[in-house]
Amino acid sequence: MYLVPVSITKATPGSQTSLREANRARIVDAVKRHGGLTQVELAGATGLSPATVSNIVKELTASGVLHITMTTRSGRRAQHVTLARALGIVAGVHISTRHMRVALSDVTNTVVAEHNMPLAKDHRADNELDKATRLIADMLDSVDATMDEILAVGIAVPAPIDVITGEISRSGLMRGWDGISIADLMHRRIKRPVFVDNEANLAALAEFRLGAARGRPNSVYLRVGQGIGAGLILNGAVYRGYESAAGEFGHMTIDEHGPICRCGNRGCLEAIAGGPAILEGLRESNGPQKLTDVVVHAIAGDAICIRAIADAGRHIGIAAANVCNLLAPERIVVGGELARAGELLLGPMRHSLERSVVMESAKVADIVQGQLGDRAELSGAILYAIDRATIGSDEPIS
Amino acid sequence: MTLVSEVSSGKHESVDPVMSIRGINKGFGAVQALTDISLDIYPGEVVALVGDNGAGKSTLVKILAGVHPQDSGTITFHDKLVSIPTPAASRALGIATVFQDLALCDNLDVVSNLFLGREIGTIALNEVEMESRSWELLRQLSAKIPSVRIPVASLSGGQRQTVAIARSLIGEPSIVILDEPTAALGVAQTAEVLNLIERLRERGHGVLLISHNLADVQAVADRVVVLRLGRNNGEFRVADVSYEDIIAAITGATDNVVTRREAAVRAQTEEKNK
Repeated sequence: MYLVPVSITKATPGSQTSLREANRARIVDAVKRHGGLTQVELAGATGLSPATVSNIVKELTASGVLHITMTTRSGRRAQHVTLARALGIVAGVHISTRHMRVALSDVTNTVVAEHNMPLAKDHRADNELDKATRLIADMLDSVDATMDEILAVGIAVPAPIDVITGEISRSGLMRGWDGISIADLMHRRIKRPVFVDNEANLAALAEFRLGAARGRPNSVYLRVGQGIGAGLILNGAVYRGYESAAGEFGHMTIDEHGPICRCGNRGCLEAIAGGPAILEGLRESNGPQKLTDVVVHAIAGDAICIRAIADAGRHIGIAAANVCNLLAPERIVVGGELARAGELLLGPMRHSLERSVVMESAKVADIVQGQLGDRAELSGAILYAIDRATIGSDEPIS
Repeated sequence: MTLVSEVSSGKHESVDPVMSIRGINKGFGAVQALTDISLDIYPGEVVALVGDNGAGKSTLVKILAGVHPQDSGTITFHDKLVSIPTPAASRALGIATVFQDLALCDNLDVVSNLFLGREIGTIALNEVEMESRSWELLRQLSAKIPSVRIPVASLSGGQRQTVAIARSLIGEPSIVILDEPTAALGVAQTAEVLNLIERLRERGHGVLLISHNLADVQAVADRVVVLRLGRNNGEFRVADVSYEDIIAAITGATDNVVTRREAAVRAQTEEKNK
């Protein structure tokens, strides 16, 4: 989430057609951003004349991109423009350690509305699920839909989830969410089917279907942020393991005499290269900051931050080499907050991976940055909900 | 268990605080509203000021906004000792305050509200310039305002809050004070305002956030300063502290950390005096 000053008068060189194309894109963008707008508001938001807006909306409605309903604004009749959607909506919720994203999508995976908000450290299940429910209700309102139209809700959480019970299968990782069935709790609020899975699994699914791991049925998604986790795609399906506990990449032991991890063991990767560990290491020199600040400073050339990220990358690379030796994936996709540092993280990872892996370097998995960025988990939650809602079988992903 | 994370010492060596206030006292007749308050605000940092009703949060904000001056104590702004006798002086220093009631003109549109009293243009108003500057600002804040030419009365609570915050940024202040920005907002609007606070932080403004909602405070703040009955009652880094600890400091449910620290300071000074 960098500051990108958007110039209002976007230069549109070229022909009349290209201008029209740009205006079309501008209108669709505005509708996407706001969920739903009246034509008059659309003119204000895009800076286009009402006549142009009216023409383009008519055109896009005919071609099935937008959808118009009659409504009233300040006592006047108005046309409410939303993105057209295929029948049925699914909701995706991504609850991470410090952030929540909620989106509505139709069954063809077109996101029609989206919200995100920062969360408190140590958030509680009841409170956050309430927020998610109210955000979903709010967004349904903005796209003129009702709760009944929701086919399924997919939730991504940063802890291993027992897919059968919907409970977190290892307590202590997410204080405030232990010992409750998340699916049940959400179902009670929203009265629609709810499916819960680990965020790394869902991000892996999304990158496999839509992103950097497309067409690579054996790939590993590494999520490097506050925590470190992995989603495994083996033979084209998400591999969950016994009790759905697979993919706890962050708790691979790197140093038997290392620092104590939040899971209670010593020398876990997460205790050495996870977000809190990186911040702790920088506390002396740079003062307290957030993980995103470290990434931003590193990109801006702060030598200490670059070094901190490189150190983390080196450790993650060693663990990744172990995974490569065990599973021989074709590609490793790296996502999460720290992945935004790009090559600053990936370079050192590659270096230590190649040093510790058995295969000759030409055949070793390549390490790439995720394409879906910080929305990977959310996309995964939506995909998961669509899978479960439309196929409805127990073996949804293949 | 230590309740105070040592914020004031050994941190931020490289950065000086934008503003630091020391030993502020304020009384209204028989009521001593603030006693010996200290507070630092660094650039690019969100400091939350929390406390029960009557803890002195609003009084402190009013002192910083220039509504009424303090009885004693110092305010240092960019390493210079300053006094804030009037709201205009406060704004001139670079302190922008967004009060709880927002103080927007309902009948005017977004642009007129943003530039109220600071209109651009010499003889005639330069509406085009003002409108494009408004959009630029709102886009930078990722604000979801459908149009800048509709009266503020027709905006939602969160959008009005956004306009009020955007207005405070027009003079490029170094500190933005937000008084209860999420009170009386729905969850979607709250989400908008919290994201907005993160934007302010990224832009390098120091933010002083006054709020009752601890979930919101913990979501965006870097540091929490607790006031209780007009005194400092603890200062925490959000990363190190749990919800329960902050509640304890607000209500005074623990043996008071400040008394402990004060005792330590007193012991030190006594030792020095010997």
